[in-house]
Amino acid sequence: MASAAIRPSLGAFGRISSAAAATTAPRSLVSTTQTASLSTTTSLLKRHKYPGARDNKDYSKHRGESAIRRTGTRWRLSMSDEPLPKPVPREQLPPIETDPDHGLWEFFANRKTVANAPEEDAKYGRSWSVEELRHKSWDDLHRLWWVCVKERNRIATANWERNKSKLGFGEAEALARDREVRATMRAIKHALTERFYTWEDAVKLAENDPEVNLTGDGPAFTPRDYLEEGEATAAEGEQQQQVAEAAEAAEETAVKAQPAPPVTPDPAMIPASQPQAEAPRL
Amino acid sequence: MATPTAAVAEAVTQQLPRRFGNKQIFLPNHVIAFIRPKPKQPPNLATFVVPLEFNKLDLRDYLYHAYNVEVTSVRSFINQPAPRQKNGNIGKWYRPRSQKMMIAELVKPFVWPDPPEEKDREPFDYKIFKKMEHERTKSMERHMDPANIPLRTQTPTDEVRAALKKQAKEFLDSGEWSNGRKGDDKWTEVETDVPVSEGKVMNKE
Repeated sequence: MASAAIRPSLGAFGRISSAAAATTAPRSLVSTTQTASLSTTTSLLKRHKYPGARDNKDYSKHRGESAIRRTGTRWRLSMSDEPLPKPVPREQLPPIETDPDHGLWEFFANRKTVANAPEEDAKYGRSWSVEELRHKSWDDLHRLWWVCVKERNRIATANWERNKSKLGFGEAEALARDREVRATMRAIKHALTERFYTWEDAVKLAENDPEVNLTGDGPAFTPRDYLEEGEATAAEGEQQQQVAEAAEAAEETAVKAQPAPPVTPDPAMIPASQPQAEAPRL
Repeated sequence: MATPTAAVAEAVTQQLPRRFGNKQIFLPNHVIAFIRPKPKQPPNLATFVVPLEFNKLDLRDYLYHAYNVEVTSVRSFINQPAPRQKNGNIGKWYRPRSQKMMIAELVKPFVWPDPPEEKDREPFDYKIFKKMEHERTKSMERHMDPANIPLRTQTPTDEVRAALKKQAKEFLDSGEWSNGRKGDDKWTEVETDVPVSEGKVMNKE
């Protein structure tokens, strides 16, 4: 375009002349903003060419810019006229649905109020006694332990929420409930510790028992054939067998009580994100 | 930012099996509280109060194995409380135990229910709770600045006292009052019945 290529100084001249006589190009075609520097000399012209001469750089960044002459900026500004998107207020966003099977619901005693009312919180039975837990297997005890852990998490969450949201009273009931849960956990550890001591004693007994083989090769228990020796030794043999049986039983329970050897979890065996069945609550 | 190769790499890493630690803990004794998010916190962030010895990987493993909650990343920080004095303001200075919090980025968002309205907090005895809270703050303010004793003119008048004052004023304005009963006959006017000549000294009034 001829008008775009025209030098700014000439453009200004055109503006002035167009006011006098409309013979030149129409106003819209003449660029009103300056696109080049005002200098009419060649930019490569350099007076001092000897070595060590000062450079010919233009140190005045705004040379030639004038608001009166409407020259505009020397450099093209990187701006666009595109309208910017407006942020949507939080209230107008679509509501986010929570999965009813989300695992985090297990932290709540009540899905509406988070914390249970004190009357509800006070409805609990008693803790498990050690005597009851002695008859339970390791799997049962482990499961019960995790029920207790989750219940304590639930109580802690409710305590925090009751306190921060100022729901009201109920801390005393929650603390009493927590105490009962901790009594169960203590009983579990008591039962397991007893089991471990029994196992230790059984190992000591078995070391001196010829009927028990602790090496791990072959059968662990080979009963002596006491019936052939006669009635006299029958009673003694029976006693020995009882001891051996007790040792074996203790060993079996202790093996259950011992933590399983650390096994690298097979990633393929880790369950997908399906929710587990909710553990029974206390 | 999200070049095709980067997107592919991310998709591949998503499909990779999750890595967890090898150390198995059978009877953990930790207590973890799930905490209401701040008002503008997005729903894919869940805040927990965890024991101080917990680390990010612990929380990730814990949430996955105990609660089946998948987490993409965990942030953690410790709230250090200000130093306090034992026994009010006379005891030794100490710093209460710090508290660790962790924010987990959830795969599935979780929106907390709104806290119940004040009228719905009746099972928690909220009315009495609120009154006690109010009294406690008032007494605390009094203790904090014992020199600030409000003047009689600055304290609002009690309703009972105002009613009493009004009644008394009405009595005074009416000039006389009676209880509407006729007295017994033996109660007579002292001045008229007892002659002074008998020399008895009467206690007037």
